[in-house]
Amino acid sequence: MQTIFETPKTIKENSRFSFCPGCDHGVAIKLVAQVLDELGLQENTILVASSGCSVNLYDYLELDCIEAPHGRACAVATGIKRAHKVQGKEKFVFTYQGDGDFASIGLGESLHSALRGENITAICINNTNFGMTGGQMGPTSVLGQITSTSPQGRNKETHGFPIKTAEHIALCDGTSFSARVALFDVKNILKAKNAIKKAFEYQKQGLGFSFVEILASCPTNWRLSPLESHNKIENELTKTYPLGIFKDIKND
Amino acid sequence: MLKGNIAIAKAALKCGCSCYFGYPITPQTEIGEYLSSEMQEKNLAFVCAESELAAINMALGAASSGAKVMVSSSSCAISLMQETLSYASSDEIPFVLINIMRAGPGQGYIFPSQADYNQSTIGGGNGDYRIITLSPSTVQECIDLTYRAFYLSQKYRNPAILLADGLLGQMAQGVILKENPYPEIDNSSWILNGAKNRPARKICSLEPNQEKLNSHIEKLFKKYKTIEEKEVLYEEYLCNDADIILTAFGTMGRYSKAICNYYRKNGVKMGLFRPITLYPFPNKRLNELSQKTKFFIDIEMNMGQMLKDVKLALAKDATCKFIKKPIGDWSGQEETIAEIDEILKEKYANNI
Repeated sequence: MQTIFETPKTIKENSRFSFCPGCDHGVAIKLVAQVLDELGLQENTILVASSGCSVNLYDYLELDCIEAPHGRACAVATGIKRAHKVQGKEKFVFTYQGDGDFASIGLGESLHSALRGENITAICINNTNFGMTGGQMGPTSVLGQITSTSPQGRNKETHGFPIKTAEHIALCDGTSFSARVALFDVKNILKAKNAIKKAFEYQKQGLGFSFVEILASCPTNWRLSPLESHNKIENELTKTYPLGIFKDIKND
Repeated sequence: MLKGNIAIAKAALKCGCSCYFGYPITPQTEIGEYLSSEMQEKNLAFVCAESELAAINMALGAASSGAKVMVSSSSCAISLMQETLSYASSDEIPFVLINIMRAGPGQGYIFPSQADYNQSTIGGGNGDYRIITLSPSTVQECIDLTYRAFYLSQKYRNPAILLADGLLGQMAQGVILKENPYPEIDNSSWILNGAKNRPARKICSLEPNQEKLNSHIEKLFKKYKTIEEKEVLYEEYLCNDADIILTAFGTMGRYSKAICNYYRKNGVKMGLFRPITLYPFPNKRLNELSQKTKFFIDIEMNMGQMLKDVKLALAKDATCKFIKKPIGDWSGQEETIAEIDEILKEKYANNI
């Protein structure tokens, strides 16, 4: 009998995700693990985890890992990458962060890592709210979005505008690759995997900062079913957050 | 002749510091300026971070990779780094942080000051943790204690701070730049370098299990107890027969030595006790001294931050007076001598 699907080697044996039902984190982590397997990177990788729902990643992946203080993942990753380089070793270093971590409290570290062309990869899960603390408005919450701290909906007069992270990162000269992907259907999941793969390959090739923003569902805090959540991403969120590749150093 | 700032930078390179992360702030900027060219020439990692937050977190990452790492900054900017000092203490990640103090609170100014004693020894980060704190009083000690800071930091897997003031950073003195006297510490059992032929390693402070978090903190404090037992350093100057002992750290220690000499010449048996490690504080030795000598005068370039540790250490029947000056120019001794004269007048009048 032919094996057509198996758990990626990079995922720890017997690990069980602790995410809410319908949350896209599980799919995103699986894609990351598959790409690490396919590129043969597992033994040479150091993962920088962050604060938020993404924090438990080190319990799921068989990777050397350090937890960064909230928002500082790209700075920690910079230190790791540089320290190994000094010792003559190229390590594969990536961060896995939420939108609050990457684009709110950590925007400075994120943007400057891209501007320096730091040869690391950042994966940012954008679920348009602070998920772990119970769904507060974040910098990525879209106009009109109801959250526990914007009960009347986000309005531009009081709360300003959501940040289009992938487009901002694409503007940085040190960025090699910046894309926004989603996970609401198989086609998009495959596109997401390709984007992650490209981002990882660009780091391997030493091309600079690579970035993938993943639009992800948060059914619990959105008060929607998993299916309704995916519909919301496809039909509503992509209007604010169009999918696509915003920078590819090889095609520019 | 070397300036304190440059001496620290040279010492760091001599003991194998391969990564430096910094952000400019007076009066320590020369450390980064010096290292920027030296480290580039040697193919070492020098990053002009976008903020002190970024700098200290780059240090966290680099040190988790097993590199010898240094960050330098000053007072108000060290405030920004407290969160990561707390993380690094819990994660048991070693690096050296240089604080060339300036006057505060807030932005204050670049005047010399010793007002970060509390920040360094008590800490501004959250949770139960301690930071090894070394206090040089001369440029030579800036070198010797930079070596020691790297060594202790690596040995105990804990951040270490070299706490010097702006006077020391800017002052030039003749020094001997000898070799690093300390052995290398093997870190191969914990660093992150890729899970090859071994299980993956995880460095994190998050611990949702109450019992595990409890035992982690207990473990950290067992380590701190060892540090307190083994790593205390201090200098005693003419304390054996002293009727009066001055206590002072850093630049004020050196300054107070000259005060002692002045009073000795005038027939007053004065000595100096200078803590070199501020954490661990030499309270045991200070207590021993206070069994015989009963009169102490603490001199600090702040409003009395070490004073509480001195008072806690002294025998109950010992007296401790305090001479303070929160900031500024301590180059002349007259003012201090006049204050001590007043204290002594009172002491002898009351026959304390």
